Amino acid sequence: MFHRILIANRGEIALRVIRAARELGVETVAVHSTADASSLHVRFADQSLCIGPPPSKESYLNIPAILSAAEVSGADAIHPGYGFLSENAEFAEMVQHSGLGWIGPRPEMIRMMGNKVRAKEAMKEAGLPQLPGSEGVVQDERELVRLAERVGFPVILKAASGGGGRGMKIVREKEQLSQMYRTASAEALAAFGNGDMYVERYVERPRHIEIQIVADEHGSIVHLGERECSVQRRHQKLLEESPSPALNDKLRERMGRVAVEAMKKVRYNNLGTIEFLLDERGDFYFMEMNTRIQVEHPVTESVTGLDLIKEQIRLAAGEELGRTQKSIVLKGHAIECRVNAEDPVSFAPSPGLITAYNPPGGLGVRVDSGAYEHYRVLPFYDSMVAKLIVFADSRPAAIMRMRRALEEYIVEGIKTNIPFHKKLLVYDPFVQGRYDTRLVEKLLADHPN
Amino acid sequence: MDVDKLKAILETLQGTDVTRLTWISGQETLDLRLGHPPPATTAVHAAPMSAPITAPGAAASAPAAHANPAPAAAASPGQPAPAKASDENTFTVNSPFVGTFYRSASPDNPPFVDAGQVVKKGQVLCIVEAMKLMNEIEAEQPGRLLEVLVQNGSPVEYGEPLFRFEPA
Repeated sequence: MFHRILIANRGEIALRVIRAARELGVETVAVHSTADASSLHVRFADQSLCIGPPPSKESYLNIPAILSAAEVSGADAIHPGYGFLSENAEFAEMVQHSGLGWIGPRPEMIRMMGNKVRAKEAMKEAGLPQLPGSEGVVQDERELVRLAERVGFPVILKAASGGGGRGMKIVREKEQLSQMYRTASAEALAAFGNGDMYVERYVERPRHIEIQIVADEHGSIVHLGERECSVQRRHQKLLEESPSPALNDKLRERMGRVAVEAMKKVRYNNLGTIEFLLDERGDFYFMEMNTRIQVEHPVTESVTGLDLIKEQIRLAAGEELGRTQKSIVLKGHAIECRVNAEDPVSFAPSPGLITAYNPPGGLGVRVDSGAYEHYRVLPFYDSMVAKLIVFADSRPAAIMRMRRALEEYIVEGIKTNIPFHKKLLVYDPFVQGRYDTRLVEKLLADHPN
Repeated sequence: MDVDKLKAILETLQGTDVTRLTWISGQETLDLRLGHPPPATTAVHAAPMSAPITAPGAAASAPAAHANPAPAAAASPGQPAPAKASDENTFTVNSPFVGTFYRSASPDNPPFVDAGQVVKKGQVLCIVEAMKLMNEIEAEQPGRLLEVLVQNGSPVEYGEPLFRFEPA
C-alpha cells in the first residue's frame, strides 16, 4: 500500500480522496493555488503545499510544480481526481517515470480513450456496439440510399465539416432522402466550402447511460451497474441516478457483460466508465470512455456499498479485486444533484462569498462539498459547489428524500441552481422516469421561470 | 454569457491594472470587480506536517527565476495583498515555485548571502531545486539582508517568504 498520496486537484474531489486515504491509513498531501489557501482540502490534508497563482495552468495544471511538490513532500503516489490532469496521458507517464504510483489506468489506456476515433475503433474491435452509419463520407446518392436502408430510418445527415448542430438534416422516410441529401450537401458546400456528408442512425430519444468498471492489475474486472446521466444541459450533467429507470435486469446484465468483455480484451486496469447511448428500442451504442473517477461516482457507491476511491487507491497499489460479478448486488436507489454557483434561470455563473450555509442532513443524505460559511466560490475554477446525494429503498422514496433535502439546503450570498433542482424533482416526466437527454430543454420550455 | 467566455475575459484581465469592468451586450450585463480581499492567511492543519506552511504570497515581490514554473503573480486577482511586515520598511523575497531551498551552491560552499550583508540587484541569493533543476534566485532590488526565514534544505512552497531585507 502507498504511504503518502499527493492529490493533484482541489475542491470536493480533493476532500473526497483525503477522506478515503485517511480511512485507509494513508497520509495525504494537498496542493493548492494561492486562491485556495483556506480551502477544506488544504485544511484536512496531513501536509499542504502552495504550487502557484490562481489560474489553473499555473497551479493545478502546472506539471513541474506538482511533481516537485510530490518530491519535496515525500509522496509515493498521485491521485489526479477528475478534470485538470486526470486524463493527461503524458502526465500519467511522467508520474510513473518519476517512480511514483499513478492512481488511475495505464497511460496507454488514457491515450487510447482520449482520441475519440481511436477509442471507437478499439471498442468496435473489442465488441462494443457502435451507432450504425457510414464509416466515412458518402460517395453518391446510390450509396446513400443503400446505407440508409441498412442503418434504418430515421437517419441523420451530417456535414463532414459541420459542427455544433449546423449542417445536419434528419430524414424520416426513404422518399425524402435524395432531395434532402442534395439540399444538405449544397448548404454544406455554401456554409463550409465542403459538401461531403456522413449518414448515421438518428436516435429520437437518446438516453445517456454509463457503466462503471472496476479492474485490478491482475486481469479481474467487474462492473458496478449503470448510472443514468440523461439530465443534462448543453452536455453538462445536472442530476444522475442509479439504477436507471430505463433499464431492466436483463438489459443491465447485457450492457454490463459486453462492457466487461471489452475491458478484458484491452486489458483495462483501475476504474473507468463506459458511456453508452441507449435508444428507445433498448439498443445501446458505445459513445466514449472516461479513464478516471467521475463526479457522479457517489450514486454507484450508494447502491453498491463500495467506496470507489478506496478501490482506486487499493487497486493502483496492486491489491487484488477480490470480488466476483456475482458478489456485486445493487440495492435501493440513489440520486445526485449537482449544486452549482449559477443563476437557476439563466445558468450564468455566480461566484462570490457564501454568507450563510446550511447543508441538509438526516438518514440517507450525503453532501460532498468544499463549501462552508464564508467560503468564497472563485471565478477561476468550475462552478460546482456541492454534490447532494440521497439514498433510499426505492426511486419514489429517493425522490421524496431529495425534495426534502433540497428544502433544507440553504446557501446565501451567491446564486445556486437549487431552485432548478426543486422544479426538476417535481416535473412529471422526471418523476415518471420517462425522459431522455432533452428533458432539461423541455422543462425550461414548460417552466421558463 | 457562457463559462468559457467568462473565463476568457478573466484570463485576459490577469496581470493588467483593470480593477473593474462593466460589459453590456444585449440583455446581458456583466459587472466584474477584480482584486477581492485576501483569504484567511493561516492554514490550520489537522495533523502534523513535514512541510512548513506560511501564508503564501506574503509579499508581492518574487524574484525572476530561470525555470518555467509560475512567475511572480503580483497582479493576479485572488493573490493576497502584500502583508504588513513587522517592520514597514522591510520586504521579503519569496519562492517563485515549490521546491527545496538551498543557501549555497553545494554543501562545501559558503552561503550565497548572510544576515547583515548588503546585496546588489541581480545577486544570487539562494537555490530552489525543482524537478532536479537548480534554479538560482536573484535579488530583484538591492537591500540589506536582515533574516533568512527558511532552514537550508527545507521544502518551500510557491510564494513562501525566504529572506527579509531592508532597502539599502
